[in-house]
Amino acid sequence: MPDTQELPAVGRYVYAVLPAAGVPTDPLTGIDGAPVEFVELGELAAATSVISLDRPPGRRHDLLAHSHLLESLVKSTTAVPVEFGAVLADRDSVVEDLLAPGEGYFVELIHRLEGTEQFNLRATYDEEQVLAEVVQANPLIAELRRRTRQLPEGAMHPDLVRLGEEVSAALDHKRAEDTDGLLNLVAPQVLEIRERPGAGVDRVFDVALLVERSRREELEDVLEGLAEAVHERIRLSLTGPLPPYDFAGEGQWG
Amino acid sequence: MTVQTTQRRGGGYLERPAPSGLADVIEIILDKGIVIDAYVRVSLVGIELLTIDARIVIASVDTYLRFAEATNRLDLYEKGGQPLTEALGDLQESGASKKTSGAISGVKKALKPGSSDDDEERRPAKKSPSRRRQTEDA
Repeated sequence: MPDTQELPAVGRYVYAVLPAAGVPTDPLTGIDGAPVEFVELGELAAATSVISLDRPPGRRHDLLAHSHLLESLVKSTTAVPVEFGAVLADRDSVVEDLLAPGEGYFVELIHRLEGTEQFNLRATYDEEQVLAEVVQANPLIAELRRRTRQLPEGAMHPDLVRLGEEVSAALDHKRAEDTDGLLNLVAPQVLEIRERPGAGVDRVFDVALLVERSRREELEDVLEGLAEAVHERIRLSLTGPLPPYDFAGEGQWG
Repeated sequence: MTVQTTQRRGGGYLERPAPSGLADVIEIILDKGIVIDAYVRVSLVGIELLTIDARIVIASVDTYLRFAEATNRLDLYEKGGQPLTEALGDLQESGASKKTSGAISGVKKALKPGSSDDDEERRPAKKSPSRRRQTEDA
């Protein structure tokens, strides 16, 4: 007998925590098209749906369903996203293991996020422009580049690694300066800025902004002006409004 | 990445991509949100794998060689146009962001191309973008 027989066949997928007063009246669907059910405790509710535990992953649809549901919720209330892929055993577990132990924390967090939206702001260099700056400002890099430029494609050479290291260091420095410069201008328009992970030669920064809904246009105007001012070197890209994925706390709620 | 740019009013220098594809969604939601402790969670086949896959994609760029390659691909032509220092000066004067003007001087310095002392001699003489296999002297 396989031991899977002992396990329950279904669980409770959890999407978000929201105020009980903000539970939408229209029916919503989640992963696998399952109806979204709200589990309540006091002022709080969790958006959940029943999920089969032995289902194949179906990654793409799951991610999109999770994301779409969060987008629907934040249209009418303050919903704090739960990390993608969180499944609890049943309704009781949602109350006992999530809402009850986190109650104070969630109430406060929801209060803090009320009336706000998240935007993701990304700045990327014009790669040619910024590398030209690096080569011109740094004789060692220029020399290494001259020496390695004629190497056949795919050849390994110590100078090549050295060149990469030097360019990387120079870009780090430039990146730090540009990031400070730009974000100093963004900071007055937003409640909070959080760094998002990322990499790449052309990356300047990638941040999440927490913005008061009433100040959104103001932010957009400032960013438009900034984007125009720096457009020869740096491109600015703004995504949102988004659910507050990056402001949902660091898991210290338990 | 699929990027649909929906331009707003004005000049449209600020890009406004609408996240549409799977890659966008992964980037926005992965590892974000309230974390529920593993000991109360029921494991769902595939979820952990997805997280790991995405992390590998993010981390696997072989950075140094990539930098070297990018630098050597580069043709040292510069784009003409208004220097950033002036660009930000204009921004300040136009009063478009009065509140933040105090920070502008810092930005001017930070956004100046290259190190500060050798700007003069390499102001872009807008070269024609003829590229790649010129000769060794570039």
